[in-house]
Formats: sequence, C-alpha cells, structure tokens
Amino acid sequence: MLYELKNLKKTYGQRTVLDLERLRFEKNKVIGLLGPNGAGKTTLLEIMAFLTRPSAGDIRFEKELIDYTNGKLIDLRRKVVLIQQHPILFTTTVFENVEYPLKIRKIHKAKRKKIIKELLELVGMEIFEQASAHKLSGGETHRVAIAQALACFPEVILMDEPTASVDVENQINIERIIQKINLEKSISVIFTTHNMIQASRLADETVFLFEGKVAQSIYENIFSGHIEVDSKGYKYCVLHSGLKLRVSSQKSGLIRISIDPNVVKLNQNGSSSSMYNCFKGTLIQLTDEQSKVRALVDVGIPISVLISKEVFKSLHLNLGEKVWLNCPKESIDVF
Amino acid sequence: MVNALMDLLIDSFLSALLLIWSMNPELLMIVQVSLKVSATSTIIASVVGVPAGFLIAFGTFRGKRLVITVLNTLLAMPTVVIGLLVYAFISRKGIFGAFDLLYTQKAIIIGQVILIIPIITIFTIAAINRIDDRYRKTALTLGANVFQTALVIVREARFGIVASIIVAFGRVIAEVGISMMLGGNAKGFTRTITTAMALEYDKGEFALSVALGIVLLILSFGMNVFFNYFQGKARV
Repeated sequence: MLYELKNLKKTYGQRTVLDLERLRFEKNKVIGLLGPNGAGKTTLLEIMAFLTRPSAGDIRFEKELIDYTNGKLIDLRRKVVLIQQHPILFTTTVFENVEYPLKIRKIHKAKRKKIIKELLELVGMEIFEQASAHKLSGGETHRVAIAQALACFPEVILMDEPTASVDVENQINIERIIQKINLEKSISVIFTTHNMIQASRLADETVFLFEGKVAQSIYENIFSGHIEVDSKGYKYCVLHSGLKLRVSSQKSGLIRISIDPNVVKLNQNGSSSSMYNCFKGTLIQLTDEQSKVRALVDVGIPISVLISKEVFKSLHLNLGEKVWLNCPKESIDVF
Repeated sequence: MVNALMDLLIDSFLSALLLIWSMNPELLMIVQVSLKVSATSTIIASVVGVPAGFLIAFGTFRGKRLVITVLNTLLAMPTVVIGLLVYAFISRKGIFGAFDLLYTQKAIIIGQVILIIPIITIFTIAAINRIDDRYRKTALTLGANVFQTALVIVREARFGIVASIIVAFGRVIAEVGISMMLGGNAKGFTRTITTAMALEYDKGEFALSVALGIVLLILSFGMNVFFNYFQGKARV
C-alpha cells in the first residue's frame, strides 16, 4: 500500500476543505483524482506531497505513520514529488532547472549531465537545454517540470491538473509521458483532473472528490441540496437550483446526490413509466463515447445521460431540441 | 547680475572638469574616503539587513506588523538625528566614549549602517513578498531542505535585493549629516564628497564643489548602469 489516509481533515478557519474518512492508494498505479473546482483535489495532493499538514487524521506512507513533529519530512519529500497545476521554473536555463534536484542530492557532475540529457529527451525538450526557462510556453514548462520531477528519482509523482493549461499537442505529449513513466520507470502517478474522459483513458483507478469528500462509485451528475418531506411522507431532495427530485433515503438535512447517467431515461414526448422525477430540458451537447452517446441536457442544471447508439439513432436527436428526462429513484444515490 | 552668475557657473563647471581630468589629488582623496566609508557601511548593513528582511518576511511571530511599521518609520529618520544619537553614545562622556570613535571613519560607518539597515531590510521584505509561493513549494518538493529553499527564494528575489543595496549605497554616499557630525570633516581622513562640497560652498570655492558633485552623479549613474546590465543579462 502506497498511501493510507484515515479520518483526514483539512480546515482553513471555519471552512473544511477536505474530510476523508478512509482512502487508500496502491503502488505502481496511475490514479486519477476527479472532481469539480473546490473539491479539495489540490489540497489532498499537497498533503500527500508532505507540503501541507492536515488539520486532523492520519496518513500512512508505505505503511509508515507520518509524524509531522520529528523533522523527517525531507526524507519523505525525496520520495514524492508534486508537479503543480501551473509549474514555475527557476529563472535560469532549462538545463539548470533539471539539474537542481540532482545537485541537492550531490550527484556527480558528469553523471548529472547524462541524466539531464536522458530526461530532456524523454519529455522531448532536448533542443531547449540551454534556453531560458521563463521563455517557454505553458506546455513546454510543464514538460520541463516533469523532467525536473523525474530527476528526483521519485517513487510517486503527484500531478495537479497536468493538462489543464496546455494546448492539445502538449496534452497528448504529457499523457504519453505519464503512461511511459508509470510503465517503464514503475513510478506511481496520482493526478487530478476534472476531465472524466482523460481520467478513464489514463488511470487504472479513479477516485471522485466532491466538496472535500469521496463520492462513491458514480462520479457524475453530483449536486448538493437538502431533504424535504411532503404531507404524504415522500422524501424529496431540493437542489440549490430549485429542482426537486424524489429520493429514498434515511438521511435528512443537507445532502449530496449523484444521478447515474446510465439509468436516466431520455425521450422526446414526456412519456414515462414513472410519474415523478420527469423534467423537460434542452439538449445542449452530444458526445460520442465508444459504445454510447453522452447527451447533456439542461433542466435548470446540466444532467449527463448515457444512451446506447441504437437508441440514439432511433431518437434522431438534434441540439437545441426540447427533451424529457426521467430519473428513477434507483438512478439517484444519496450520500 | 544674471550674466555674472552664469559666468560663475560656467567657470566653475569648466574648472571642475579640469580638476577631474587632471586627477586632482585632493579630489581623489575625498572620493576615495567616500567610497571606502560608504562601501563598508553598505556591506555591513547588507549582511545584517538582507537576512533580517528574509526572517521577517518568512517569520510568523507576534509583533511582526509592529516591527515592519517601526522599520518603515526609520526609513524617514533624518541623518542629523542619527548623528546626534550616535554622538551621544560615542562622545567622550558617552557609554562607548572609551573606544575613541568620534571623528573617525568608524563613527561615520556606524551612523550610516544605522541609517540604511531599515532601507535594506524593508526593501528585502518587499522583494521576498513579491516572490511567487510556488518557488518555495517547488524547492521543497524537489527535496530541498529549509536552508536550500531559502537560497532559492533569495536567488529569485535577487534583483529586488540588489536594488535595495544600490538604493542604500546611494543614500549613504549622498548623505551629509552623519558624515559631518560624526566624522568632523577632517581633511584626508573623514572628509567625504558631501562634507567637502558643503565646506567648499561655504568658502565660495565652487570648482571643487562642482567637480565633486559631478563625481557623485557619475557614481550614481554607474551604479544604475551596472544594475540594469545585471538585470538585463540575467533575464536573457
């Protein structure tokens, strides 16, 4: 086991940004941390990089319980390296940037040169060796930051939104590098993203975070709301947008729900086997996803629906068209 | 009347250029004393001020805001007040009277160090506060210890820190109150560019005064040219 987090909390003043009951990451895997902005992904990475101390809870790294008071964090930091969402390089050359971690590890000059050459080749930046680091583009900076991280010979590389601020060409390059370093160098990679397609393409495992907590299994259509009970005793979840969904749950007060896109039904005439949880909306996006088609429907909030290609063909859907969504109770998970 | 004044200025300016061109020994001696005293006080103040600025910028301690406010106040401290204060300590009747420091170059240096420590400290704090926190996180995650991380931050803040040292040097080489009150303007010993200029002005000898003024401006210009060159080269 690489990481084991237990009852981990991080608070800033009154605000809890991370509240994880239990989370485990295995070695030598590529793990994707999914979640919207503000889900606590960056905070979690900084805690796992031993740069930020949690407010409460335990972290075990390679089974060893982390003690923040014994001054041994530097040894741990030398096993784990974090590449920030917008990496910053020192105001010197690309070569010297990659050389820095080698220098502080007191690696001999001749060996340093050889390693730097290899790493810059790996990330496709060898021709920029003597270039000024601050003149590189966002994607190039990211690639040099990866080389710099690899120069630490880490066991784990943590990457915060590795492709969020780079162009498509660099995105492909970075994804290729992630796969390569995991396969060839057996380095565990934990990366954050809010791109589900990227996570499913790259990661062996994905963990979804929402408002600082782990959302179980389904990591789409997550919304916050509160429980209301009507005069007949039926429970409803009222979302912040005002949308009211009938749910079956023992919980009360503030809750979060996820709606399984595979179970939600989409039709054009409002006909449904169920009398409740039917919403009229506008079809705003259609995406081809291997055997299925993802339809995004705006019903006051955007809800994602996965439909089979056969159903898609039979419906003759057009963007901007008014459609009906039916969310049966079994499609809604309350947590 | 106006013509006579213009003639005097032109004459003084030409005589001043001649003094500089001929490397007048008296002028050279004054410039040498000024450079020696100012450079020494700037080095001492830098050794104290830069680490102090770093510690204040990064430290989390009670009274941090008060310390910064006091330092900001000290930026506006008149040189004559520092002169008076140091005089009280090093005059024969003062606590350090036994060291016989009054009217020596050391006395000027002490006063000037007090004058510019707040400048270097405050400008270092500002330079370090401007540095992106990602540098600190990057250094730490790459395996740097606390000292190595501090060096990274100082290196990234180097332009701001060098600028603070240049400002401080400019302040001491151009100040007159401390040099006059604590140095005593002794010829060949504690006579600096500014005290000599004041004396020559009193005597009505404008040539040397103007020559020294030109040297002062050239020195200041040279320092700025050097700084801009250093800054430009480092950013290529």
